[in-house]
Amino acid sequence: MQRMQPGALTLNGFLGSDTRPLNEIIDDDAKVLARLHYSQEDVAARMEYFFRISWETFLGDELVDGKYEVQTDVFRGKLPCPYGHVGLYRKAITSVTNSTNGISVIWTPLNIHMIRDHGFFEGKGSAFRLEPDILVRAIFE
Amino acid sequence: MLATIFKDIAVLTALSGLLAVILVLAERIFNNYGQCKIGINGKREIEVKGGNNLLASLGEKQIFLPSACGGRGSCGACKCKVTQGGGPLLPTEKPFLSQAELADGIRLSCQVKVKSDLAIQIPDSIFNIRKFAATVAEIVDYTYDIKGITFKLISGETVDFKAGQYVQLLTEPYAKMKQRVSRAYSISSKPEDRDSLQLIIRLVPEGICTTWVHNYLKVGDKVSFTGPYGDFYLRDTQADIFFVAGGSGKAPIKSMLEHLQVVGTTRRMSYFFGARGLRDLYLTEEMFSFEKVFSDFSYIPVLSHAAPEDNWTGRTGYVMPYFQERLRDPANSEAYLCGSPGMIDAVIKGLTALGVPKDKIYFDSFG
Repeated sequence: MQRMQPGALTLNGFLGSDTRPLNEIIDDDAKVLARLHYSQEDVAARMEYFFRISWETFLGDELVDGKYEVQTDVFRGKLPCPYGHVGLYRKAITSVTNSTNGISVIWTPLNIHMIRDHGFFEGKGSAFRLEPDILVRAIFE
Repeated sequence: MLATIFKDIAVLTALSGLLAVILVLAERIFNNYGQCKIGINGKREIEVKGGNNLLASLGEKQIFLPSACGGRGSCGACKCKVTQGGGPLLPTEKPFLSQAELADGIRLSCQVKVKSDLAIQIPDSIFNIRKFAATVAEIVDYTYDIKGITFKLISGETVDFKAGQYVQLLTEPYAKMKQRVSRAYSISSKPEDRDSLQLIIRLVPEGICTTWVHNYLKVGDKVSFTGPYGDFYLRDTQADIFFVAGGSGKAPIKSMLEHLQVVGTTRRMSYFFGARGLRDLYLTEEMFSFEKVFSDFSYIPVLSHAAPEDNWTGRTGYVMPYFQERLRDPANSEAYLCGSPGMIDAVIKGLTALGVPKDKIYFDSFG
C-alpha cells in the first residue's frame, strides 16, 4: 500500500525491511497471537489501558499494578492511519517495562489502532514493529 | 512471426496513444469549470480557475488557510465556512466536523472542489498570513533532541506576528522523501526581529519534517514557510502571569518574554519549566537572566526524574505544587501553557483550583 511506504506518512513507513505481502504479515502475526490465546482486541485493550494511565501523569513514570513502569512522551501533531480511513492519532510514544521479566516495549497510539482494527503489528524492521509474542509477555505476564 | 509481433506492438502503441488523447480531451471538456468567483467575507472577491480544491485555489491567490497535511484531508486544520456553493458535504470531511460546525456550514477547504462560484467566510487574521522565503542563518543544539534554528527572510521581507503564534514550515525533498510536508512550529524569537525568526524544534522519532531539520538542514539552505497562525498570544493586560511549558513548548514562552523585555513590563511573572532530567534543561541561563531584567520574574525549573549524577538541588516532582509560591492575586492572574494535552489538563485543574479564572488560561496544546 502506498501510504505504508517511506515518506508517505512517516520517515521509514510501516513495512520496514519485510518482503512479505501485507496480508501475510498480518496472518503470520495472527497465528502467533492465536497460539498465545490472545486476540488483537485483548492486546489493544491492554495497550490502551497503560496508555491512558500514563497519559495523565505526563513527564513521570507511572508504576502500574506494582510492576509495569509506564511512560508516555508526547509530541506535537497527529498522524492518519496508513489504511487511509478517516481518523487522526496523537504523536506519542508509550514505553512499558515489565519489571518481572525485564521486557521493554514501545508503541504509539497508531500502533494500538492498527492492532485493534487491522491486526497489523507493522512489518519486521519497522521502527515501531511489535513482535506479538514479546508484546504479550511484556504487558500480560 | 517477428513481423506479426512488431505489428501487434505498433497497434497496441497506437491504441494506447489514442486512449491517452481521449483522456486528455475528456479532462479538458468535462473538468473544465472555467473561471469561478470566490466571495470572501462579503467584502472581497477573487477569481480562480475552477477544478482545484478550495485550499489550493485560495493559496494561489496568496490566501493561506492552515494545513498540516498539505491538503490530503488528514489533519482537519483547513476549515472554513462556506455560505454559498461548494457542493455536498463529503464523507471525508464529516469526522473532522462537530455537529455545531456542520450546522454552521463549516467545510474542509481541501475537500471542497471549486466547480462554480462560491462564497466563504474566513477570519480576518487569515489575510495576515503570507508565504515567506528564508535562508537558514543559525542552527544551535539546545539538547540531545532539541535544536534552535534561525531563519533570515530574503529580499528585505519582514514578518509581523504576535508573540506566541506559530508558522508552518515546508520541507524540501530529501533522501527518500519526494513529497513536501508542512508542520507547525511556534515562533521562539521576538516579534521585534521582523526580518528573521527562530523556531525550536524537537526531533520526533520517524518524523519527516523534524528528521529533515535535525539531520539534513544546513546553514545557508533555503526554506519556505507560511504564517503567522494561531490565537495563542500574549494578552495586553496588567495581570500576573503564569507560564507553564516544557520541552519545545518553551518556544512561544521565549518569544513572549523577549517581547516583554523590549516593550517593558512590571507584571509579576513566573515561568515553570517541567522536565524529566538535567539533560532536558536548556536556555537556562537566558531564562534566569530575565530575573535581572524584569522587576518581578521567577524562572522555576522542576525535574521529575533527576538522576543522582545530575546533582540536582532544585525543585523536584511536578510543577503544580509550586504555583502557590508565586500566587498573589488569583482573580487577577493569567496563564499561558504550551505542551501535551495531559500537562495542560492537569495544570488547568491546578490553577483553577487556586482561583485563576479558566477563561484567563490560554494554551497551545500539542495534541
